[in-house]
Amino acid sequence: MTPPTATAPEPVAAPLIPPSSHRYADVIHRLEAGGSMLPDTPENLMQIIGIYKAYAVPMDFYWRDLLYIAEQVFLDPLPAFKYFPSQEYLDLPNSYAGDQSKLRIWRGGEKAHPELLEFMEKGETGKMSKLLHHLWHDRINMEFAEACMEAMLWHQGMGGRFYDYLDSDAYRANADRAIKAYFRGNPLMLGLYALFPEMFMEQVKKMSYYANLGLFWEVMAPVFFEMSDIYDEGGFKGVPDAMNFLVNGIFAVAGRPIYHHVYIKGECFEIIPKSAGFTWLYEAALPYVEAVFYRTAPFRGTKSYNAQAYQVPSDQADFHYGILYADVFPVGSAGIPPTLLMQDMLHFLPPYLEELYKQHKRGDEDKLIQLGITFQRSMYNVTSAVIQALRCALLYPLDDTDPEHLMANRRFFEAQMDRFLRPEARLPQIQTQDYR
Amino acid sequence: MANIIETAKGAGCFGTLLTAVEVAGLTGALESPGPFTVFAPVDDAFAALPPGTVQTLVDNVPQLARILKFHVLSGAYRREQLIEQPEWESLEGAPVAIRRADPFEVKNATVVSADIVCDNGIVHVIDRVILPG
Repeated sequence: MTPPTATAPEPVAAPLIPPSSHRYADVIHRLEAGGSMLPDTPENLMQIIGIYKAYAVPMDFYWRDLLYIAEQVFLDPLPAFKYFPSQEYLDLPNSYAGDQSKLRIWRGGEKAHPELLEFMEKGETGKMSKLLHHLWHDRINMEFAEACMEAMLWHQGMGGRFYDYLDSDAYRANADRAIKAYFRGNPLMLGLYALFPEMFMEQVKKMSYYANLGLFWEVMAPVFFEMSDIYDEGGFKGVPDAMNFLVNGIFAVAGRPIYHHVYIKGECFEIIPKSAGFTWLYEAALPYVEAVFYRTAPFRGTKSYNAQAYQVPSDQADFHYGILYADVFPVGSAGIPPTLLMQDMLHFLPPYLEELYKQHKRGDEDKLIQLGITFQRSMYNVTSAVIQALRCALLYPLDDTDPEHLMANRRFFEAQMDRFLRPEARLPQIQTQDYR
Repeated sequence: MANIIETAKGAGCFGTLLTAVEVAGLTGALESPGPFTVFAPVDDAFAALPPGTVQTLVDNVPQLARILKFHVLSGAYRREQLIEQPEWESLEGAPVAIRRADPFEVKNATVVSADIVCDNGIVHVIDRVILPG
């Protein structure tokens, strides 16, 4: 019998730069090795993909309704039916899914997802009219989507040129034309416009953010559906695979136009034309991540904040109420009302997540909390994808051999991790599996 | 001497860039007297972008033009002039950083061939598509 031949171990190259001494050095080294802020474990992969699926279904409603409000409801002074998008908008072909799409990267249909339509019909309570479902609050919570939009509107100036454009003469002239057309034949509203023009301008700006967020999420819904399908087919080997899928997606649609068109009596008014050159990456995705994942605002929920006692930062840049910092347990206290989103996602959990939650903590009793923490994990992974995409776009490849380049990457990663040094950040918690 | 477009055509490694410039309607501008400084990514630089990136831009002309204009400065500048200043305003509006003199690096791209003098400007060949931010 031939003895097994021992193979010499591969020589390990000395690292080109010294290790980081940052408090999150482990996470930084993982990012430098092409990983995510979320550790690569089979359970983390299962959790994040499962929640992407549960998020994608309500998101398919959010983007359609956001565009419906921006383009059709517009300045309706009593928008009681703004959460009832027309059939046209439920059938609106997704620009990035379906056979009509110019960019066929993600599979999936062009119209509203079947699970969404089924839920809209039956809800939790059973089949009844849309109005009864609405009044019973057995519906998709658009209030969550609006809170995200308001965070973007309120924080402003987070990169991109969208907000500056809203103060430009071109924008004001386009908005003025649309306001006058919308209220043609309505002397009361036109009179109010003459008296308080800025109030109307503010409303139009808000509508432009509805369009911005709608166009942003129109892309994310098919991306998340696709990730769920790939996982079901056994396609992702680990968390880094899932993150890299998102990185590629960010690049693929980076140049998607962000615009705001309004349809008044069948006529299209281009308040922000596509020719303004605004892009999905710079004017929607990056401001969204900053406003929604990091900042948002203290939510008026079950916990009160005392601004006089400096419980709320005086500087907007220090706001830290996004999902990356949220304490999910005291439901309703953490920035963007996570309770509403959790409720929306609860309806579309894949069976494997239902099973997982039953095995831990209080089982079905605290499913909203458990899925909220899963959502937090998944958004740390999305944020990792954004960080890696920015590194890729603005800095250097991870396998670069120039130490100066690697140090530039290092400084970038460390600066990103500095944002999680504040005590509210959940980055340390998501490093272990027992945070549920 | 040839202008910027003719020079790029002659080089044979700027097929994607020339197509993009044509689609964005910028060919005429780059044939005008200028002068301009162009950071010209080679074909391999575009090929290294994830799938779909270039297609989405080509499908959306104003957005494509914006990214291309980030690669152009108003005025003709050689390497020794560019390294005198940490950043230069691009035609897109965002600044282009000069990160290193030797090797010559513009943002996160390395200049593989500098100071190609044309009738209406100067071309610096870069190994990566540069993006604002």
